[in-house]
Order: sequence, then structure tokens, then C-alpha cells
Amino acid sequence: MSHDAKPKPVPVPVGEVVGQSVPKPDAREKVTGRALYTDDLVLPGMLHGALLGSPHPHARILAYDTSRAKALPGVRAVLTAEDLPPVDIGPVIKDQPLLARGKVRYAGEPVAAVAAVDLPTARRALELIDIRYEVLPAALDVDAALRPDAPVIHAPRGEGHPNVATHIRLVEGEPDKVWARCDAIIEDVYETPAQQHVYLEPCTTLAAVDPDTGRITIHTSTQTAFRVQAITAEALAVPMSRIRVQVPRVGGAFGGKVESTNQPITVALAKAAGAPVRLTFSRTDDMRMMRSRHGARIYMRTGATRDGRILARQVRIHYDTGAYADDGPFVAAIGSYFSRGPYRIPHVDVECWSVYTNKLRAGAFRGFGNPQVHFASEIQVDRLAEALGMDPIELRLRNALETGEKWLGGAPVESGTLRACLEKAREVSDWHRRRERPSTTSPGKRRGLGIAAVGHVSALLGSSATVRLNEDGTVNVSTGAVDTGQGSDTALAQVAAGALGLSLEQINFSRPDTDTSPYDWCTGGTRTTFTVGHVITEACEQVREQLFEHASAILERPVKQLELRPGGVVGVRGEPGLSTTFGAISGYALYVAGGPIIASSRWLFPAWQLDTRRTKVEGLPSMGNGFFVFAAQVAEVEVDEVTGKVDVLEAWCVHDVGRALNPAAAAGQVQGGFVQGLGYALTEELVWKDGHLVNPSMSGYKVPGALDVPVAIHPVLLERAFGPGPFGAKGVAEVGVVGAAPAIINAIRHATGARLNQIPATGERVLRALLAHEAPATKDG
Amino acid sequence: MRYAEPETVEEGLALLSTHDDARCLAGGASLVSRMNAGQVAPAMLVSLHRIDELATTTESAEGLWLGAMSIHRAVATEARLRGAMEVVRSAASQLAHPAIRNMATLGGSLCLADPKTELPAALVAASARVEVAGPAGRRSLPVEQLLVGAFQTSLGKGELLTRVFLPRGLGGAVGHHLRFSRVSADYPTVSVSLVLAMDGETCSHARVVLGSCGPVPLHVDAADAVLVGSRLEARDVAEAGRLLVQASAPLDDVRGSAEYRRMLIPRLLGRALSQARELAHV
Repeated sequence: MSHDAKPKPVPVPVGEVVGQSVPKPDAREKVTGRALYTDDLVLPGMLHGALLGSPHPHARILAYDTSRAKALPGVRAVLTAEDLPPVDIGPVIKDQPLLARGKVRYAGEPVAAVAAVDLPTARRALELIDIRYEVLPAALDVDAALRPDAPVIHAPRGEGHPNVATHIRLVEGEPDKVWARCDAIIEDVYETPAQQHVYLEPCTTLAAVDPDTGRITIHTSTQTAFRVQAITAEALAVPMSRIRVQVPRVGGAFGGKVESTNQPITVALAKAAGAPVRLTFSRTDDMRMMRSRHGARIYMRTGATRDGRILARQVRIHYDTGAYADDGPFVAAIGSYFSRGPYRIPHVDVECWSVYTNKLRAGAFRGFGNPQVHFASEIQVDRLAEALGMDPIELRLRNALETGEKWLGGAPVESGTLRACLEKAREVSDWHRRRERPSTTSPGKRRGLGIAAVGHVSALLGSSATVRLNEDGTVNVSTGAVDTGQGSDTALAQVAAGALGLSLEQINFSRPDTDTSPYDWCTGGTRTTFTVGHVITEACEQVREQLFEHASAILERPVKQLELRPGGVVGVRGEPGLSTTFGAISGYALYVAGGPIIASSRWLFPAWQLDTRRTKVEGLPSMGNGFFVFAAQVAEVEVDEVTGKVDVLEAWCVHDVGRALNPAAAAGQVQGGFVQGLGYALTEELVWKDGHLVNPSMSGYKVPGALDVPVAIHPVLLERAFGPGPFGAKGVAEVGVVGAAPAIINAIRHATGARLNQIPATGERVLRALLAHEAPATKDG
Repeated sequence: MRYAEPETVEEGLALLSTHDDARCLAGGASLVSRMNAGQVAPAMLVSLHRIDELATTTESAEGLWLGAMSIHRAVATEARLRGAMEVVRSAASQLAHPAIRNMATLGGSLCLADPKTELPAALVAASARVEVAGPAGRRSLPVEQLLVGAFQTSLGKGELLTRVFLPRGLGGAVGHHLRFSRVSADYPTVSVSLVLAMDGETCSHARVVLGSCGPVPLHVDAADAVLVGSRLEARDVAEAGRLLVQASAPLDDVRGSAEYRRMLIPRLLGRALSQARELAHV
């Protein structure tokens, strides 16, 4: 929304559809296995693709010999970088070739691609490709990469260390001068892991090239049909007009499918082979070749006065972006932007580096840089409360940003509901009782309760929608938005139904297809329901105007006396008997006057420009987002003193969702976010040894299963409707993951006194922290 | 690759002896996933699914014979596995996750000899013997003599594991299995299998076997000897634990460092013993 314009009053939906927990229409086909995903699709003559990964984390490519692979019967195409246009792609820094060119920068990086009549043949062909490498020294972590004599991973792009992809500095107030006024100062270093998305459906693409026209059709698992179209066009030097992208069902994405995955290389294989090619990664290839959340090391120092006013904070963030920048610069921007937390801290000094290393690239992942800094901030705030002898919720309440206050950088908080979230969390979790008298448990186990406050953003960038009235009065809604499984198709259909007073049966919500859908940027950034929902309500409003114009003629009443009635009816206010149906109006428009009823709406979420009079800003790339949303998450844990293993017993997640369009779907997002955060907190971590991933499998890398999560994750949806989202809805998708880890770590501290500044809090780390905590006591005793 | 489904042990042996690089297919839980990952590529698969003898359980005065093709779920629900034999039932009911327990078999688990898995350790704790059929007839041997190394058994070429014998053990003895894993559906980081008998407050029999602490299940007579005759007090447990740690060569992987596993050994031993003691007193 424009920050100057007065906020419009939040519109009220017509009928009962908005706010109902209607089941997702695709639920049954998914449960029964009928849903069609990309890997289920088959085209005549289709070949199977596979990629060869680099055996070295850093090496020069000296020579290729693909002759043996090409000679294998059944092989139709073998590609290396020599067969591709010399184009590098990347959303911020153009540093990524489709296949390694000149050198490889991480173990597993695709170096060659094969298309063959079946997958076993394709995989055998990969083994027959000979590549000679000259192994180079590798920079395997941020420290190694920042040494003055570190191996240089990419050609330097200017000043500074060549392995620094992004450097950001944000300073407000005079932090150096106020430390002396602080009564308590906490200072620590926090570490977070490279978590992986582990979407159920590995990345997959089916590409076909029309032999006559050269037109390319892509079916793929993605978060964005339009960015796939644009990136493929860029990578293969083909105009976008020659590319069509369609998106079948998507089995989860979580940010891992925001940028291109294997679409461009699959198209290149289809072109080279002259036949359709489907390339579906194995789980292990997906884990070795795609991307992860940024591992981070965060130095943070926070000071407060005796009465609990946080005065100053200094933050130094190092994000490990791996071998390619990908979305790393934006992640660094969000991380910097959120490192003050949802608090009013007048004096802040933030510096952030995104650093290249010879590891898997890190990119977008639910929370986008924010879970890392919230982890540091929310643990530090708890320690500050301890030092001040204050209740952790009380300290957070004293510093919570309120409506009208400014975020770091000066953007206004439009709907400051953190206070309401914290107070509700305190109530529903029975905070004081559980904190003061943790429930008893079996011998060798201890229980504790912890909280995290959460601030995040929803909505960004551009969306459009077309709404068209059918002859019978039902409605087609086209948006280009991808439902990645989170349920946006359902919620957005409910938005259209609520805007026009229709039932869901009267709405056809079309699936994304770049040939026919209006543009949508991406299902990411907690934006789809908010931003696409906004353009749907705007288009529906135009349709309503057209309906009323015709209804006025049909009913012989002025437009201002007309009203929408549930079920696709336009009536006259105060005259219950006088009405006409959408079907009748549509017929009138189609055959008597005016022409088809149709409307489009478009919107670019207005980016907040940082206020450089207030904030000293260096190196922050544009972000273009900013409707702030708030939550509070409470976790109760049980810590096993014998092994260090932590079980989460119960959780309370209070989220201000503005308006719950579909409460069950919103609750699902809240619970799913918490579970993903639980994995981040306790078990999930990519581990490398000598530059090679040691756990690229579901066996080695553990996401929590059904038996590892609490039965009771209580989603509590506050509905403080406000802003330009549909009917005042705010985003919820990413928010649930942001505070889970610090809430759990704070609960471990409460249960045992053990201090953990690193996740995942594996049994080993927790046991060592427990022993370290108990060691001085033993000495004294 | 060739594939066969013999209906008798003898037919199976004939197939194994006439094909180089033939592998037995039991539940397939590990073999098929390793084949899919390209780690093994046997020239011939001999499925054991149609051999009735391998799926048969028989009881005798001395104990229970479990067919090699018994799936873990069947072992977990075998009500006759009581007393000392309970250690095997307990392990089978906890290992991996339901899908694996419905698919994987007792014989498959033993012949894989994966040091990460826990059923072999429970079988050693139960003093199990295995019957092996081969070109020279049948022989029986203690399970420790089958498990000779990580992923290595003493099975000769053309041999087939047919069944497993679990002795009833001492009257009054209890079997107990305790596993610790990162999440519920994971290999154990460390597992403790034990058979314990108490005479009042004094331990009259103990046999403790650890999983994931070496290439084969770890059993240390001296550690048992420390426990037997003791009242299982903290220092007795600590001493037994020390001996086990000393003899261990724990795995060092994403499930836990070797050092962590060494820390866990005495701690989990203490918990397993006190849990078993509760059972012994019921």
C-alpha cells in the first residue's frame, strides 16, 4: 500500500464463503494418489535426463571426452558447457552457468547432462563421460573464504574481498555512545545450519521443443511460471514469446523452487535430442545439486537499561551463500533488515556479509534470512531478561513496536499487533504457571517453557488477475499464481467468491500457464494470498461495477441503490423482491449491450525506500516489500539428561493473520511452519566433510516425522484485519518457521539452565551444554 | 539381472550354487534400495518369499525357532517371546519405522550385518544361534560367529540362513532393549540390549550387548562379570560402562560422533539396567 495514502476501510465479504474452512479441492486426489505431478506426465517419444555432478569442490576443467557416452546405445544427447550459450544467470549477480564452465565450484555441481531412452541408460552414460580436472584449493567455510590468501571462487567484481558476494551496513542512532548507559549488556555468537527444503517432490521438468516452430513447452515443479519462462529465455538466449510454462501439481517448494531448478538444462537437452525430455532428480541429486538455507554465524550484542528499555544493538552477520550468489544478496538484505527484531531499539549498528564458499549454493528458504537473525535476537533477549531479572514476555512487551512506529530504516509499522500476540500467547500457554511450576516428569527428564516474538513481512512485487463472467453467471478467475501445496488456490477462490457473493462452485480458478494466465511474480515472500488476493478483489470490484451498470438498466434503478446478494444476484436495497441474476446480466451484456463482462487488475507492491536521513545505509540491494506481520510462539520441551535429546511436547503459535480466509488452511500453515522450525531447531543440518556432503539422503538428513512432533501445536489466529490484503488478510506462510527455534532453545534453557547458541540442538550438543552448565556446580559442591 | 523364486530351501541352494554373484532377496528393505542407488548390482536375485520353511516358527522346550523370513512386525507381536527372549521382541518392535518393520526380515537383517542396526545386537544378548543351510548340509552356530565384521558374515558361498533359535534362558530373567536415535525413524545412535536376572536386590545374571559401537555387536564378558553379584549401584554401572567404552570402537557419523557415543554408553546402560530391573520386579 502507498505509505502516503490514507488506508481504505477494509471491505467486507459478501456471503459465507470467506472465513470457512472449506477443504482444498485437490486434497482427495493427493491422498488417493491421482494428482498429476510433473514426473507423472509422459509425452510420445519422451527421453529421460540425468546430470553428472562434480567430484570436486573446486577444480579447473581441463578437458571433456563424451565420446564413450555418446556411443552408448539409447543415448540421444550429451551436453557440457561447450554445447551451451556462454550465459551466466542469477537474480542479483550473474554468476551461474547451467553446467559448470571452466571450473567447478562445489562437489555435486552439474558438469554434464545426458538424455537417453530410459533412466538406467542415462545414468550409465554419465559414468562413461570422462572429464579431466585440475584440483584447486577449496574454501570450505566462511572463515577460510575470507582469509586474504583464500582461493578465489569467482572473478573479482570490484573492491573488497573477491569472495564477498554482498556487504551491507545499516546504522541508526549513535550505538557507540550509549553502551555506557546500559545496565545490562549481553554479547554472544550464534550459529545456524544449512537447512534443506526437503520438499516431498524433488525438482522435475518435462520439456518439449516443437520441431517446426522451435516453440518450447515446459511442465515443471516451480513456485513461478513466469520467472521460469524469463530465466529459461535468458539462459538459452531464446525470446520469451517462444516459451510456454505450465505448472502441474507441486509437491512443496518452501523457497527452493523460486529460482530456476533444472528447467533450462532440460530444455537444452530436449533441443539437442530433438525429443521431449523429462528430468526428475533423485532425492540425493536434488540435495547435492539444488540449494539450502544459508548457514549463518551471527555476533550480536544488546544492551538495556534497568527498567527494561533496550537501548543499543550491534550485529555482525556472516551468511554462507555457497558457490553461487543466487538469492543470497536478498537474503542478506532481509537478515540485516530484521536483525533489530520487532523492537524499538534506538541505536543500532548492523553489518552483514554474504560469502562465497565451495559448497552447495544457499538461496531462498521460508523465512528468507529472518530465522537466522531471530534465532540470535530472541535468545539474546531472553538472556537480557535473565540479567535484568525480568519475565521474558514482559521485556518483549516493553520493547514491542506499536502501530505507527518505525522499523529499522524508517518504514512505518502499519498494524503493530506484536503486543496482542504476546499477550495472547501468555494467556493460552498458561505461561506463568508453566514457567514457575514446570510439570513433573519421569526421572532423568526436565521440562521447560520458552517463547519467541516474531516480526516478518508479507507481500511484495507484482501480480495481476483477470476475472471474467461466464454466460451462466459463474466466474473464471485467472492469476498465474502457483499453489505449491499450501492452499492458495482455495483461499484465492474464496476471495473471489467473497468479493462477488458467489459460492465456490460458481468460481473456476484457473491454473498457471504463461500462454493464458496474467502475470504473477512468484509464490514466495508470504505474498500470494496478500498480493494476488488484492488484485482479485480489485478486478472483482470492476466486475461488480459492470454488473451494476447493466443491472441498473435491467432493474430500472440507479446504481447506488443496488447491492450484491449471495449466490450471484444483484438486488435493490430495500426492495427484497427486486433482483436479477449474474446469468441474466451476462446474457444481457453478451447479446444486448456492452459486450462480455471482464476485468483485469494489476499491482506492484510499493517498495519502501529506506530513509537515509535516519539510517546510514551501505550496500543494501532493493527489496521491495514491507507489510509487517507479527506472531508469538511458545514451546514446551522435555530434555533427557541422559542423552541430551529434546522432545517438544506442546506449542502455542499466535499469529495475527488479519483475516482468516480459510482458518483450517491458515492453521495448517502455522503448524507446518512450526514443524519445519522444530526440525531446524533440533535435527536438520547439511554436513560436509572435505567439501563433500555426507548426508544427502532422507536417512542421513533427518526431518521430523509424525512421531517426532507434538500432537498439540495450537494455532491461535488473531484477526486484526487491516491493509490492502483481501478483506484485511495478512500473510502467514513463512512466519511460522521464524520463531520456533529460539522458542525451543529458550525452553531448553528454562528446563535445564543449559545455554545453546548453536542449532540444531542435537542430543550431542545439548548433552555437552548440560555437562558444561553442571560442571562449575560440581566443582563448588 | 536374473530372478528366481524357488519354493524349497534345496531349490534355493541349487540356484545359489550355480550362479556367481547371486544374492538372496528377503524383505528387500536394504538390498533393493542399495540396488537403486547403484551400490550393488547382483547378477541374480533369489527371492526367498515362496519358501514356506523360512517363514515358520516352531516352539520347543528349550526355546523358539524363528524362520529367517519372519518380518520384524511378526517378531514384535510374537507373544511367546517372553522372559530373556523378550529382548528380541522389544528390539523388533522399536527398530526403524512401521513401513520397514512390515517389510524387513530377521534373516535379512542378520545377513546384512549392518553395524548401524540393532536386531543383531539383541540376538547376541539373547544368546541366539542360527541355522545355515549349504551345499554340505545344515549347521548351527552362535550368532556371534555369523557376524564377523561390518557388512560381513561367515556365510560361505552358496549358503543360506534358514532360521534363528532363541533359548528360553534362565527362569526369572528379563530381556530389555533400549535404543537412542535422533528421531523416531532413524538408525539408533547407540542401542543397549540386555538380559538380566535379579536375586532380590542382587544381580544374578547379566548379558549386555551394545549396537552401533563397533563393527559387530559389542559384548564384553568382563562387563557382565562386574554386574553379576553386584547390587547394580551407580559405581557398578559406571565400571561396567567403563569396560564397554574401553572395548568399543563406535561409529562416527551424522548420528553422533564416536566421542558422543562413548559418552552415551554408560549413561544408556544405567537407564537400560534400571528399566530392566523394574521389569524383573513386576
